[in-house]
Amino acid sequence: MKVHHRLLGLTGVCAAAAGVVAVAATQAQAVHTRVSSKAPKQIIVGTLYSSSGAFAPDSIPELDGIKFWVNQMNKSGGVYVGAFHKKIHVKLVAYNDQSSPTTAATLYSQLITQNHVNIMIPDFGSVLTAPAVAIAQEHHQLLFDATASGTVFFTPNNPYIVGSGIRNSAFWPDPLVQYLVAKHINKVAVLYDANDFDAAQAATINSGLKAHGITPVYYQSTPTTTTTYGTLINSIAATHPQAVIELGYNTNDIPFLNTLTTSGQHFKMVFTVFPGQLPQLFQQDVGTKGLKYTYTYATPPLLPYAKVNLGLNTPQFVRAFRKAFPSVPVTYPAMAGYGTALVAQEALDKAGLFTQLSMRRALANVSGKVTTAIGQFKITKDGAEEGEFLPVGQYLPTRGGTTIKIIYPKSLATATAKYPAPTS
Amino acid sequence: MVLYALISGILIGLFYGFAALGLSLAFGVLRVVNIAHGDVIVLGSYLAYELSTQAHLNPLIAIPVAIPVAVVIGLAFYRLIAPSLGRSKDPEMLSLILFFGVSQVIEALATIGFTVNQDTLLTGPVGNGSVQILGQTFPNYEPVAAAVAVPGALLVMLYLYRSRLGLATRALMSSRADALLAGIDVGRTSALSFGIALALAASAGVLSIYVNGGVNPSQGADLTTTAFAVVVIGGLGNPGGALAGGLVFGLAEQFAQSYEPNWAGLVPYALLLAVMLAKPEGLFGRRARYA
Repeated sequence: MKVHHRLLGLTGVCAAAAGVVAVAATQAQAVHTRVSSKAPKQIIVGTLYSSSGAFAPDSIPELDGIKFWVNQMNKSGGVYVGAFHKKIHVKLVAYNDQSSPTTAATLYSQLITQNHVNIMIPDFGSVLTAPAVAIAQEHHQLLFDATASGTVFFTPNNPYIVGSGIRNSAFWPDPLVQYLVAKHINKVAVLYDANDFDAAQAATINSGLKAHGITPVYYQSTPTTTTTYGTLINSIAATHPQAVIELGYNTNDIPFLNTLTTSGQHFKMVFTVFPGQLPQLFQQDVGTKGLKYTYTYATPPLLPYAKVNLGLNTPQFVRAFRKAFPSVPVTYPAMAGYGTALVAQEALDKAGLFTQLSMRRALANVSGKVTTAIGQFKITKDGAEEGEFLPVGQYLPTRGGTTIKIIYPKSLATATAKYPAPTS
Repeated sequence: MVLYALISGILIGLFYGFAALGLSLAFGVLRVVNIAHGDVIVLGSYLAYELSTQAHLNPLIAIPVAIPVAVVIGLAFYRLIAPSLGRSKDPEMLSLILFFGVSQVIEALATIGFTVNQDTLLTGPVGNGSVQILGQTFPNYEPVAAAVAVPGALLVMLYLYRSRLGLATRALMSSRADALLAGIDVGRTSALSFGIALALAASAGVLSIYVNGGVNPSQGADLTTTAFAVVVIGGLGNPGGALAGGLVFGLAEQFAQSYEPNWAGLVPYALLLAVMLAKPEGLFGRRARYA
């Protein structure tokens, strides 16, 4: 009986607490709706970038892509906000996190609580986006994820993130796995960096190969800070692989390829992630000798999208971006910044209410129906981008050096793969 | 795999030891932890890069170029900061803050001068090609780095143990008060030691651009961390211990890469903790004497 009374009491307290929470939530929603019922003077787009540190080479062009979009919008009178049936001027607020996740965490909070941003785009990559995910969720701020493709960010209980630029990295290697299987390459070595971005790709390759009865002969992770690869390459060579897949950031791919060139080892196939995204940087830092016959993901602008229904198509973007930023090479991070901003534009256009969740719902509704310069915008129910497709590319020799050609799938191929890679 | 990891560990370890030598010398003499040590290494790398790409010279020529420049800068810088440090109630803390600021300034200037992108040196005999050692193939830069590091460290030892200035330096490392009582020009000796420490760091930078797969303005902090771990393992303030610490660090890293690559970043630092617990003064550090 005593227990029964206690249970009743506890239930009462819980019910009261739930009531208070419900009322508070309703009031909060009401406040949010009231605030958003009046059109703001400007749409504030908040983002972070890294002017220094490991992620700077990718982060700065991503910011340039966002800047390009902001300039375009403001030249045309602002971005159209469907909830107010009018165009509103766009203001960009960008803070420098210097490639530090700790600094980024503070600045993400600042963007939300001090700058009251309407659109929030995190810095480049999974490492610098990771701190934003929890902060955005806590503050009920929708995160327009541009280039963080780690699977762990997208969960059923978090509606405050939407993959807007780059495809979830778990999907990236699908064509690569298909290519390996089609080529009957059974001895595969996978060396990946211990971070969400690379680990997700490695897991997909591992499971994809195992589904075809292939177990990688080498499957190891290494810290993302790794820059010396001689011993690692020697260990990989000891397993006599037919293909070596190194999954890292550009600060890993560059020393890996350079060490391979001088290691005395030769592999029939070498795949790395970033040469296709930052071809100019790799041409400068690795050179023709190191890049020749290397495989990589072929990303826009290498893979152009001529038919789009939102923003400029790929060739138009390349021309316009070159004009706007003559000294900046047109790379995938720049395109991802632009593509993400276009998704935010679509959210503002289609959302019935000027709220974060309304924008998220609007994007779920247009999923699969929008194509931009970086491909199709299509999200899973958890918000992960799954529309983009990354074919397999290979650096093939030309008269002046090398050029990346798409070699798989056949429907997109612009050249035939050179496998095994010649020794010279 | 064992032989490869062993040889590579020794070669890269000698480089790590050489790269940490300047940090150890500066701490031994001045009792300051130069947080900007890694950034000076970065500047050495950029000097090699510029000499190679702009003047088309062998990047190793950067070493004799860097040494006098670094010594002069070190002397001038010491003269600039010594009075402030001397007046401070907490010179160790002030020096930490000071060198943190120097580190940030160097990184910012390097970013302006060289952009944020990685720069590599692929040409010439060091950056291109491989060499056979005991039937194993290594990139040329590994034995070259070791071949520069060993005589470099020997020269420092010769200076410390076979010259009057070296004797004064060791006296200063042992006890500043005793050195003053013995009539040693502490200011001059300290300034020269700081200059030599910078010269060693800049010389290591010429090799670092190869060993670390390139140079970028933000590399300094990681290089300082590695150098600090090396000197702590070997014994803070003991230049000879720095080389031993480098070997331990290099071997631990390379063996971890061979057998458990994911632990390669952890093993050397776990070893550092183990050394600290078992022998807090480092493998070759002197025990503190309290009179």
